[in-house]
Amino acid sequence: MAASNLSVLRLLWSRIAWRHWRLSPVSSFLLLLILAIGVAAFFSIRLANRAAVAGFQNFTDLVTSQSDGLITAPVGTLSETVLLELRELLGNAPVNLLPVLETTAVVPDRAERQTIGSRPTFQVLGLDLPALVNLASQPDNGPGWFSPATEGKTNESDHGFSSVLRNPQSVFISAALAKRDQLKSGSLLPLIINEHLVTLRVAGIIPADPRQPAVPANLLIMDLPALQQLADKPGQLDRVEFVVEAGPHRSAQWLGIKEKLAAANLTNSPRWLVGSPADRRASAATMTEAFRLNLTILSLLALLVGLYLVFQGLDGAVVRRRGEIAVLRSLGVTSGQIQSAWLVEAAGIGLVGGLLGLGLGWLGAQLAVKMVARTVNALYFASSADSAAFDFREAVIALVISVLASIFAGWRPARVAANTLPAQIAVRAGLSNFPGGKLLRRPQLGMALILLGMALTWFPPLRLPGGGRLPIAAYAAALGWIFGAGILAGIFLGELGRGLHRLKMNSVPLRLAGSHLRVPSGRHRLLVASLVCAVGMTAGMAILVGSFDTTMRGWIARTFQADLFISSDGAQTASSASRISPATWRAIVAHPAVKQANVIQVMDIKLAGVSTLLVGNHLAFFRDYSRPAWVEPPDSDDVFNPDLNSGLALASEAFSARFHMHRGSSVPVPTRSGFRHVTIAGIFADYGNERGSLLIEQRQFAGWSGNELAASLILALQPGHDAEAMRAELRAAHPGLGVFTSGYLRGESLRIFHQTFAVTYALELIGVVVAVAGLAFTMASLLWERREDLNTLRALGLRREELASAAAWEGALTAAAGVVAGLAVSLALGWLLIYRINKQTFGWTLQTDRPWGQLAALALLVLASAAVAGWFVGRWAARLPAEREE
Amino acid sequence: MTAMPQAPTPAKKHLLATRLVAAALLLGWMSGAAEIPRLTADGYAVPQPGRYFVFPRDHGSHPEFAIEWWYITGHLTAADQSQFGFQATFFRRALVPPGLTNASSSASFGSSQIYLAHMALVNPGTGKFIFQEKLNRDGWDAYASTNTMDVRNGNWSLRLVSPQAGRPEFYQLQGTVAAEVAFALKLIPRKPLVIFGTNGVSRKAADPRASSHYLTFPRLSAAGTLTLNETNQAVAGEAWMDHEFSSSQLGAGQVGWDWLSLQLFDGRELMAYRLRRQDGSTDPFSTVAWIDLAGKVVQIGPDQFNWSVCAHWQSLQSGADYPSLVRLQAINPATSRPESFMVQPLVADQELTGKLGGVGYWEGACRVLDENKTVIGRAYLELTGYGESLRGKF
Repeated sequence: MAASNLSVLRLLWSRIAWRHWRLSPVSSFLLLLILAIGVAAFFSIRLANRAAVAGFQNFTDLVTSQSDGLITAPVGTLSETVLLELRELLGNAPVNLLPVLETTAVVPDRAERQTIGSRPTFQVLGLDLPALVNLASQPDNGPGWFSPATEGKTNESDHGFSSVLRNPQSVFISAALAKRDQLKSGSLLPLIINEHLVTLRVAGIIPADPRQPAVPANLLIMDLPALQQLADKPGQLDRVEFVVEAGPHRSAQWLGIKEKLAAANLTNSPRWLVGSPADRRASAATMTEAFRLNLTILSLLALLVGLYLVFQGLDGAVVRRRGEIAVLRSLGVTSGQIQSAWLVEAAGIGLVGGLLGLGLGWLGAQLAVKMVARTVNALYFASSADSAAFDFREAVIALVISVLASIFAGWRPARVAANTLPAQIAVRAGLSNFPGGKLLRRPQLGMALILLGMALTWFPPLRLPGGGRLPIAAYAAALGWIFGAGILAGIFLGELGRGLHRLKMNSVPLRLAGSHLRVPSGRHRLLVASLVCAVGMTAGMAILVGSFDTTMRGWIARTFQADLFISSDGAQTASSASRISPATWRAIVAHPAVKQANVIQVMDIKLAGVSTLLVGNHLAFFRDYSRPAWVEPPDSDDVFNPDLNSGLALASEAFSARFHMHRGSSVPVPTRSGFRHVTIAGIFADYGNERGSLLIEQRQFAGWSGNELAASLILALQPGHDAEAMRAELRAAHPGLGVFTSGYLRGESLRIFHQTFAVTYALELIGVVVAVAGLAFTMASLLWERREDLNTLRALGLRREELASAAAWEGALTAAAGVVAGLAVSLALGWLLIYRINKQTFGWTLQTDRPWGQLAALALLVLASAAVAGWFVGRWAARLPAEREE
Repeated sequence: MTAMPQAPTPAKKHLLATRLVAAALLLGWMSGAAEIPRLTADGYAVPQPGRYFVFPRDHGSHPEFAIEWWYITGHLTAADQSQFGFQATFFRRALVPPGLTNASSSASFGSSQIYLAHMALVNPGTGKFIFQEKLNRDGWDAYASTNTMDVRNGNWSLRLVSPQAGRPEFYQLQGTVAAEVAFALKLIPRKPLVIFGTNGVSRKAADPRASSHYLTFPRLSAAGTLTLNETNQAVAGEAWMDHEFSSSQLGAGQVGWDWLSLQLFDGRELMAYRLRRQDGSTDPFSTVAWIDLAGKVVQIGPDQFNWSVCAHWQSLQSGADYPSLVRLQAINPATSRPESFMVQPLVADQELTGKLGGVGYWEGACRVLDENKTVIGRAYLELTGYGESLRGKF
């Protein structure tokens, strides 16, 4: 029985599926291509996301193979004196303690006007280099330092590290960098670390462990005390990693060590936090989770539009092949077998389109990864990703989605095909019997979906571990509105056709087009619905970006009021560890031309396990020169008075949303001497980061954090002093500093902001391309089904051009219905994106701005594309013979 | 003086030559002709005769010298009568002469000294020998106090615990080997400290700079715990502790040395080192030291002992061919009669391949047999310079 079923399926496949695919290769390929683009958009974003997060590495893993655990300071850095204390604490436990200091560096650029973020950032790891040989000697670990494979080897009996100790400004580089920049042992590498211009000598190549990922080009390794000096962090460590010596009881040893570490920690004022390298990687993943999920959802837009078309394609095929289906039914093929054959065909489309999509997606990912990594760099942490590797698991997910979605889209056409009666052999399949679109003819359903969407907008976001928020209900609302508006747009299309009819115009093509739209077919309705989806989401995103743009411009204009903005020239990304040393910033602040200065210090802290930023600031300067827009203004001026603001803080709106805190809330701030409580005196709008910022007076920050390194310095000059002249003077005196005027920084901020939206723009564009391609595809399908009518019209004397014009009008009018409804839904989506999705994800309030010019351009683009596509398809259809099979 | 019992003619000629050289050297020494420089060409201290040792300070580190080590070897017996041999060695090597520091030096991450350490355990019952090396710069994870014996390298340490009321001073050794073995031993000297050499200086070659200050506890009781595969067991036994500091251990033409410590069941000890020349011959500065029951030391020259090789063991790892079964015949100064000791390794493979230190050697626990093949004591034998010459490294 099973064998006979299989043979019937094979017969059905060859007779009613494969034959049709062969007869119309162009349209078949177009359908597959549309699906492939949808899958490609999804797959490329997933790969790019993965690469951007993988770009954040626990770099010491490359050296240790993987530490068993690590400790960090509850706040700021650890003192190196903790090392001896740890060794005493752990007795003779066979564990290597690996002190680590990390910072960033860039290659100097002597250009007068620099593009911020244009230079790649190196991650510089400071390690106790001689001690690394102890790791390499363990059987579980990789090839060793100072081994013959490492270029730094000399003939000395100590394996060459004494040359590194004698020349502390030595650096080990990756093989990738050596190859790229043609560096070798002894080459010189100029760098900026903090504000210091240094020239490091290449001591050798970082040994590669074949069991670890390749050493990235941007990783540099130095001897720890030398880096402590260069990074202005003498005696400080970022973390201590623990590598238990290889042996049969390694995990038990680590558990014992962990217990000792926990027991030695004071509960009220913990000295260290015990974690693992996996925690560090996971925190990078959770930090960006909301951002990556949003991108993934956006990438599904093209796939969604593509599915409308798969549905259309299969539905159209049912109509075209109805005669053959009826014959098969009369020959005894059961309806179940027919349905199975259609579902197999749908799955086949999903599989082939999906496979094509994987190839396109992998190519797209190579472009997308740079854009995603740029955003991650600007907002979260340094990501070194510059290419996306093919990932088998992601490929399987994309393929499964493609196949399942195709089966879903093909479900109804399959049922229709199965229900074809043998008697219909005598009936010429025609539009009047087109079965699709029953749901699309129900305005009540459209209204219900829209109302459901409205209800969903009241739901809060889903809170992710690590502090991220995912506005899942808002996304569902958007879907409800898009589907609802798609249904209602079909009704609008009928009205448009009837309106044209009432106008009684003389143009034959226009009247012909109008006659087809008066009672729009299911296929017309589906086409309109897919256009509503593409235009609605694209225009909605344009409204969000436009609003963002307007808000950012206002914020930037307000924020950059002072004369000069100074940071390390190495600070090329938001996550840069480059700082300005106290000696340098004090010298600048003391310059006679400086009227007032704001020394800004920044530090990552965790509140209840969720990461945020503690910012040291002169709060009065912040008020006067950054002119914050208040979400909850302070009740009094105490917070701006350094003599009165010791227990007060200002919080950004993102902080308020992330931690559910408002004016008057008390925040327990972790400091080197335990928790200190501050009260939030006001909440201001801020678009610098989504993790939120808590601003306290700089003097208090320095006391609590134990360091005075400045992230940036903002200067207001005495009257009569020219900012440009002062900028030139400071640049000459401190060539390792980036000194910017307010005007220049405003421009750069906007440029970086637009850069972070590059992926969004690309995804929008893909959505529109799919919609327009789908329009051409649907028009071809419609005209094919009407080829007898076209022949009749030609017999009545209509010319090819007139038939082409009629098709162009039909396409343009259908597109018009889609565009009008799409724009209408985009206004609602714009509101949803600004006030729900963006607010719930990032905690930022935006000023609504509708970029009418962009929306008009989008409408014109879709209308013109539809008309042009319709015209060409019409010309092609006018040549079709009445009896051609496909 | 009784002639040595072996004596084919060529060997006798060699013996004569050796005696002449030794006599000439002694003459030069006595006349003061061989002026002893205070510093090496690199600026490190040269051992000076007549040094006045002060303890516990001189148990500590002497960074003015280029090379220094604290060396403990011993034999342990567990409650179940299992036997073990162990070695714990802490080396210090200066990277820059005293008074100079490398630019990146800091208290926690120094760059003027490098510390290498070796730990090894041999279990004759299973035939298993394991060892581990550690290498660290001076600083938080490796140091040697200049005030007392307080040496550490990673999680390994050796400390002098000062005497307190009712408790004699002792040495605390803590170590692990390849995460399989951990030991914590209390070492109590059973004989007074011995200073080898003449006038406090142990000469190694004609060049006066090739010499050391060589201090030894020839017999210490050892007791504590040995953790093997997560099982703690009480152990007890005897150990030997050397502390030697110098700026050069080998002279021109020398390629390595064989060293031997014997602890005889009758309460006597012997220390012997045979400095080997390029051609395999014994250097005239080689010596055997007899330590009697009271701890009195008498050293004899190579004319009064014979070190003969009975068998070799070749390492599959390094390829070095070690003459690890030896017979030592030496004139006992107390009786002026020769005594013979067959030194037989408990396990053949006791090679420390020296991946980190760059010097491979064989250092093994042995039993000592007399001519009747009766076991009369325990020993540790060290064979260096068989993989490659040590010249320029020590």
